Amino acid sequence: MAFLEVEGLGRDFPGVRALDNVSLKLELGRVHVLAGENGAGKSTLVKLITGSDPAPTRGRIIIDGKDVAEDPAKFRFIAYVPQELSLFPHLSVAENLFIPYDRADFTGRLISQRALEREAKAYLDRFAITARPSDLVRNISVPDQQLLQIARASTNKHMKVLILDEPTSSLTTTEIERVFNVVRSFRDTGHAIIFISHKMGEVLEIGDDFTVLRNGEKVADGRIADITERDLIRAMSGSELSFEEHFRPTPPAEPPSGPPILEVRGLAGRRFHDISFELRHGEILGFAGLLGAGRSEVMQTIFGYLKARAGTVRLRGHPHTLGDTSHSVNHGLLYLSEERKLHGILPQLSLRENIGISILKQTLARFGISSRRERTLVEAIIAAYDIKTASMDKKISFLSGGNQQKAIIGRAMATSPSVLIFDEPTKGIDVRTKAEIYKIMKRLAESGVGIILISSEMDELRKCASRIVTMYAGRQTGSFDNATTSNETLIGAIFGSGSHSNAA
Amino acid sequence: MQRKTLSFLLANSLAGVFVALLIIFVLSALLSPYFLTSYNISVIARSLAFVGLVTVGQSMLLILGELDLSLGVIGGLCGVVAGILMMSFGINPWIAIFLSLALGAGLGFFNGIMVTQLGLHSLVLTIGTAGIYGGINLVLTKGVAITNIPKEIQFLGRGDVLGVPVPFVVMIVVLAIAAFVTLKTPLGRYIYAIGNNAAAAAMLGIKVNRVRVLVFTAAGTLAALAGLLMVARLGTAQPSIGATWVLPPIAASVIGGVATTGGVGTPVGAILGAAIIAIIENIIVLFGVSPYWQGVVSGVIVVLAISFDAISRRYMRRDI
Repeated sequence: MAFLEVEGLGRDFPGVRALDNVSLKLELGRVHVLAGENGAGKSTLVKLITGSDPAPTRGRIIIDGKDVAEDPAKFRFIAYVPQELSLFPHLSVAENLFIPYDRADFTGRLISQRALEREAKAYLDRFAITARPSDLVRNISVPDQQLLQIARASTNKHMKVLILDEPTSSLTTTEIERVFNVVRSFRDTGHAIIFISHKMGEVLEIGDDFTVLRNGEKVADGRIADITERDLIRAMSGSELSFEEHFRPTPPAEPPSGPPILEVRGLAGRRFHDISFELRHGEILGFAGLLGAGRSEVMQTIFGYLKARAGTVRLRGHPHTLGDTSHSVNHGLLYLSEERKLHGILPQLSLRENIGISILKQTLARFGISSRRERTLVEAIIAAYDIKTASMDKKISFLSGGNQQKAIIGRAMATSPSVLIFDEPTKGIDVRTKAEIYKIMKRLAESGVGIILISSEMDELRKCASRIVTMYAGRQTGSFDNATTSNETLIGAIFGSGSHSNAA
Repeated sequence: MQRKTLSFLLANSLAGVFVALLIIFVLSALLSPYFLTSYNISVIARSLAFVGLVTVGQSMLLILGELDLSLGVIGGLCGVVAGILMMSFGINPWIAIFLSLALGAGLGFFNGIMVTQLGLHSLVLTIGTAGIYGGINLVLTKGVAITNIPKEIQFLGRGDVLGVPVPFVVMIVVLAIAAFVTLKTPLGRYIYAIGNNAAAAAMLGIKVNRVRVLVFTAAGTLAALAGLLMVARLGTAQPSIGATWVLPPIAASVIGGVATTGGVGTPVGAILGAAIIAIIENIIVLFGVSPYWQGVVSGVIVVLAISFDAISRRYMRRDI
């Protein structure tokens, strides 16, 4: 009998159906692989299983024979190791292992440092962690930190299910083997493991069962022994992509003469190297890759926000100065960040001021900024980009994510840029607004603005991009003509299996 | 209708602080017959002028998301240096004033360069530079005041223009310029943008560090100006000038609606906040309350002001 059972589970957020009708059975002594692209619903599912999101919209979760809605104490059997390191850097290894102390059976008011470190030693040996119990976590290696996180989860004496979310994303091959040994030893001692990874090789090696999610729904499940890497990738990406409604710009009637809009040669920087591509007139150039493949870093370097180590960029044939965002903006090269809150909006200011900051050249009169001119111009942008707001004086933080995004695009467009880089422009945005943003990009590309689109959604790239450049772990792994390339080829390239190209 | 008025006051912190100032002003006038005498009002105006100049600079830094704890000692050091230049070196007082303003600008510039180029936190850095600047002051003066400041510049501190004290006029002119810059110029918009979200400002192509250094320099210059006016008022260059200009300008800014996290508020609001503090300190004196209580009272005002701000923000959120 399954130890953990999920039946018809669904979770809605305002405007988004994050998870729908997902069922899953988890047996002790087996490793269950959970696969899917970014945004497929894996994290939503994990949050529901661990109880950190206690409110499924539909369906139920049964742990150890009891519905957790009736018996939330059953969540104690579940231990979760997040992808990001979440340790306390200024505490020792031993302290990190056992916090909170009562969970690890250290009770009482005083905790003996010596007892703590003695107890810790056993865990460290078991996980082959080389650090000493008294070392501060900030001083130990990243693989040790990664393993320490798993060790910490396992100090939960009730643990029966261990959830590992991309535990190997920052590890090398030998270190990955250490993680696998730990996973196998838990499996052999009667635990169930949920293993989340984007690396196909790992998944096939360590997994016993699998479930694939796409767009919040379960699209495949079964035994790992019965499938191939190709099946898994096809299930994740969904081969039945509809090309009826696409937003690819129509190529210009006659190829324009002169240099490409943007030409990048041998660009290198932190976490990426040797990137070369060109952006041609009238096209949307897509960038595909996994989280952390280095796509945002490449674009932020071209834009001048990050420092370049090597390489050159030419903008419409002229050498472009790197490392100066102000220079880029003045020369019409704009970058719209994926992190709307972090890099985009000015949260305490009004919608008017947020847009107005980019049109100061037009609004500046003899006696300072003319509010009359500013209001007229901002009004026009609000209308052109269909930004829904009660008033332009409303604080931008009070607008919906989609409207904030349209405001940021409108703000960028007000400066009449010649290159616009969109980094995940539809992250957290509902379907209808997504289509509006696609239309805007298409319109801009056809009017001669160079458009680069970074997206983690393959579907989005297939719908919008003329060509797609793929990246894996800081390297460029290919450049493809979107219309003539299969999903499998693209997915293979973003998972780093060899270098391909079918387009110049 | 009433609810609408209340919402307007809560939404518009400038109007709110102005109403608070009016209420305190009227109450003070009702409570003490001496309050509205022209002599008393000019006392308040004069004392408000000095701390007000520093408040203008500090509030712009706070809007930018920075802070300079050395502004007080910059004022003191620049006043003392002006005194030494005039008395020990016999330099023309006007030239001495100019050099001393330049020194204030230079000290502020140094703070700005250190913060931007080394990526230091301005709070920590300026605790350090405050120690340095204050220490130089004591090295130069050995703690002794420089007396007999030339009569020709004393009107800067003591004189009146149409019955209004000169330092107050200077402060109002400076405030008007600061208000124009923050509200009507690109530089002002950049200051708010950086204070709101420095990364986003950089993404918009704003030269973030240049703006930061500029505002630090301006704040240092204004602190020097306050120090010089104080020297002119006292007729002596006291090493202790500026000792009380560190926390009150910050408190005044917060009362006036400037967020310590940056991006919100105006220098005008900060000056209204400074006026509230000045009136309350004055009424304490008029009532003959022990001056030892002044710290307690202005502390209570700050706590009340920020509590009111936090509560009104919660109210606003519920409203939306």
